[in-house]
Amino acid sequence: MARDPRHDILFEPIKIGPKTMKNRFYQVPHCNGFGSEKPFSQAYFRALKAEGGFAGVATEYCSISPESDDTHRMSARIWDDGDIKNLSLMCDMLHERDALAACELWYGGPHAPNMESRCVGRGPTQIPSDFEYLTYAIESDKDDIRHLQNLYVAAAKRARSAGFDIVYVYGSHSYLPQQFLTPFYNHRTDEYGGPFENRARFWRETIEMVKEAVGDDCAICVRMSTDMFLGEAGTQLKRDCLPFVELVDHLVDVWDINLSGIAEWGEDATPSRFYPQGRALPWQAAVKAISKKPVLGVGRWTNPDMMADAIREGKLDIIATCRPSTSDPFLPRKIDEGRLDDIRECIGCNVCISRWEIGGPPLICTQNATAGEEYRRGWHPERFTKAANADNDVLVVGAGPAGMECAMILGKRGMRRVHLVEVQADMGGSMRWIPELPGLGEWARIVNYRKIQLDKLKNVEFIPSMKLSAKDVAEYGAEIVVVATGSYWATDGLNGASHATIPGADASLAWQATPDQLMGEGKQLDGEHVVVFDNDGYFMGVSISEKLALEGKKVVLMTPMGVVAPYMHFTLEAPNQHRRLHKLGVEIVPYHLPTRIEEGTVVASHVYDEDGHEHSFPADGVVLISQRRSNEALFRELKDGIGLEQLKAEGVGALYRIGDCEAPRLTADAVFSGHRLAREIDAADPSIPLPFKRERRMVDAESVAAERAQYEAIYADVVPA
Amino acid sequence: MRTVVCVKQVLQLGDEVEFTGDQLDVDPDYLDPALNEWDSFATEEALLLRERLGGEVVVLTCGPKQSEAALRRCLAMGADRAIRIEGAGRDPFSVARALAGVVAVEAPDLVLCGVQSSDAVQAATGTALAELLDLPRAAVVTRLELDAGARTAVVDRELEGGLLDRVEIETPAVLTIQTGINQPRYANLRAIKQAEQVAIDVRAAADGGTPAYAVRRMFVPERGEGAEMIGGGPAEIAGRIAAIVKERLA
Repeated sequence: MARDPRHDILFEPIKIGPKTMKNRFYQVPHCNGFGSEKPFSQAYFRALKAEGGFAGVATEYCSISPESDDTHRMSARIWDDGDIKNLSLMCDMLHERDALAACELWYGGPHAPNMESRCVGRGPTQIPSDFEYLTYAIESDKDDIRHLQNLYVAAAKRARSAGFDIVYVYGSHSYLPQQFLTPFYNHRTDEYGGPFENRARFWRETIEMVKEAVGDDCAICVRMSTDMFLGEAGTQLKRDCLPFVELVDHLVDVWDINLSGIAEWGEDATPSRFYPQGRALPWQAAVKAISKKPVLGVGRWTNPDMMADAIREGKLDIIATCRPSTSDPFLPRKIDEGRLDDIRECIGCNVCISRWEIGGPPLICTQNATAGEEYRRGWHPERFTKAANADNDVLVVGAGPAGMECAMILGKRGMRRVHLVEVQADMGGSMRWIPELPGLGEWARIVNYRKIQLDKLKNVEFIPSMKLSAKDVAEYGAEIVVVATGSYWATDGLNGASHATIPGADASLAWQATPDQLMGEGKQLDGEHVVVFDNDGYFMGVSISEKLALEGKKVVLMTPMGVVAPYMHFTLEAPNQHRRLHKLGVEIVPYHLPTRIEEGTVVASHVYDEDGHEHSFPADGVVLISQRRSNEALFRELKDGIGLEQLKAEGVGALYRIGDCEAPRLTADAVFSGHRLAREIDAADPSIPLPFKRERRMVDAESVAAERAQYEAIYADVVPA
Repeated sequence: MRTVVCVKQVLQLGDEVEFTGDQLDVDPDYLDPALNEWDSFATEEALLLRERLGGEVVVLTCGPKQSEAALRRCLAMGADRAIRIEGAGRDPFSVARALAGVVAVEAPDLVLCGVQSSDAVQAATGTALAELLDLPRAAVVTRLELDAGARTAVVDRELEGGLLDRVEIETPAVLTIQTGINQPRYANLRAIKQAEQVAIDVRAAADGGTPAYAVRRMFVPERGEGAEMIGGGPAEIAGRIAAIVKERLA
């Protein structure tokens, strides 16, 4: 199909300083867990976006000095020649694919824990980080300031040597230059603190120095947060940002405009639970209105009409994406080819971000199981090899996220026939009702995308409303059987805190319920007081509490954990979710585990109370969100009841299980599990994942000899003690 | 009890369409073959009758070798035999004449067709077939009652405006079956594989007869006068539509 003429504006080239971007699609800096120490993973991840049509692709935040070491989190680093070499692979691969490469020069100041380098950072004022515990920086004197600015210049030159086309002087997310600009961080009284001109001085001088050093060869990008949501002390659009744009516009080649500080950067990387796409557009438009330079900005853009409108209406020049480009690296090409229903839209769950926040692991994506696997597993999101055993028929039982993904990829790998059989009338599994929880509507994209793709695959047939017994499965006529029957919430209070059930917990009673019953089966709880017991730790407990509170219930949300929904800190959803629960009057009771549940009452004690004092909580209804269990009855009947030998006699040569049926985990894991099995369906033993490539230093005789010689040389002249 | 079900392999259009060079047909690259949806309900109804009353279900189609896929679909659902008639024209009269020749030989107790095909949407073949066979017929049937050994069936016919017409009809008869009369069964993979092995009886269509129509040219109609094409963004388009509605209602 051809591109919709309404989207032509997205494909017009644009000049930024000495460089030209071939279209308006740009991947802004975002973390992926690879840094400069996993150069192949990094390069293949970024290059895929260029292949998918992005005209500019950036690194994640790229540290300019060991003084800015974010360990335990993973940043890129451009500290020395080794980093230049490693990052140049990414630049080369982007250039081969006709995209510009950008490097986001980063210095964290008081936010960088420096746990690996053990250096000390420098900042404007000695106040510990609002993002990290126990993290302080040196309060910079003028020599420190000069030293910092020289670090930027040296790093910019290294970035140029690596082949980067765009160099950032990065301030957003409360990093060093914006710390100087912001009274919240800058309490100085010298010429670098106080009135606007003074607070702007550090950043202005640094931009001047970087421009002077590399500006003829590289475009200079400034990334600025236009509201930190910190009240008067935070950066203010009118007081600080617009004057700053006027001050340095002549030095800047492109503006990257976003929102938030670092402590609540979910205001920038907005979860769909709280914000629609294009959330920062009014701020971006305000900068665009006064700048003579191109403005780019994120907005979790997946809708090409909204992207084109933003440019047409003069609010933005370049559509910047992080999460949507990970969910679908081919977003631009699909828009260009008019294949809008093939776009794998980001759902805004922020599970990608959670991995950076956890510190270290590669990013994952709920929608795109290949994200992060481009190099190490060799997975391409749009290309599939024909399976060596494609002359087989496959039965996938269960059309939840794992089953849908598996059937889709098996279909794309050309299996002769794939039957996806579901007991419900429609696809989705638990994802049929999860999007009905408050704020989670966009999560329905998980099901919608796959439904559309499955419908296009001629070798895949969806069979709804069919419950298969083990005998039915054995006699179904498939050579390969994949069980994807999902999981259920425990009905007896079994939980990971006590590793026991809760006396009195029984969801078969009218006044107790699990999420499956409340949302999937429409069970209602009577009465005013509800105790929600949550030991899951992610979205279910808070979402059910919010839903019940919205229905007018008085909700107590009880957890043996120290905070409710700790995983939502990693997805950046926690602050606003807490605000919501607080506003709705949900009473949060942390560190409490029910000792028994009686009609009308939940009796609980503090997990650290050695004397076991009990407290009673009135409960007309109780919701049990204690843990999930795999729905493995069918798998067990097939494997243990009928047995693999008998299955073989029926023609079933292989039996696998995937997703929650194996172990209940994140939806992203379920999707990955289904995808992985389909990618490896023709491996020697598809039930065991193939090894992935690991980027690590390998020891060999030569390196051992060299390292030992170097070490011994240190002490060569020292007399042994 | 022998039921003959007349089915069609329809050609479904995707998002885009191109015509063949001679402008007499749609380019087959843009078409996906499938068993006509109405015919899957007709087949299911025949299978339900067989389950209740015994006998056999014979499925019948007119078309080239590729259309055997539709017959095999019905065989996988449980039909006993399949017959393909080759060499008939594609218009409803030619198809009905070809079907009539074979149905007469099969001498069934009941003939079921789908109400219409999803590609041609003419709803003519079943009725033409009844005329040629000189059998009573009921169209758009949403319920069928037939007892063992009975000479008549009671059927509900769907009329406009949500009305139903319950009629008694002598058998043999031709009924055209509406979607929703039942829930067509899915064939499992084993049944699909077994159906692939069944030999299909191929017969030649009898010559002669005037077709209902002939295709002279297929083309995209040119834009005429009186149509307003609304352009712009979603908000603009919605605004213009609202204005038109207001104007017409005024």
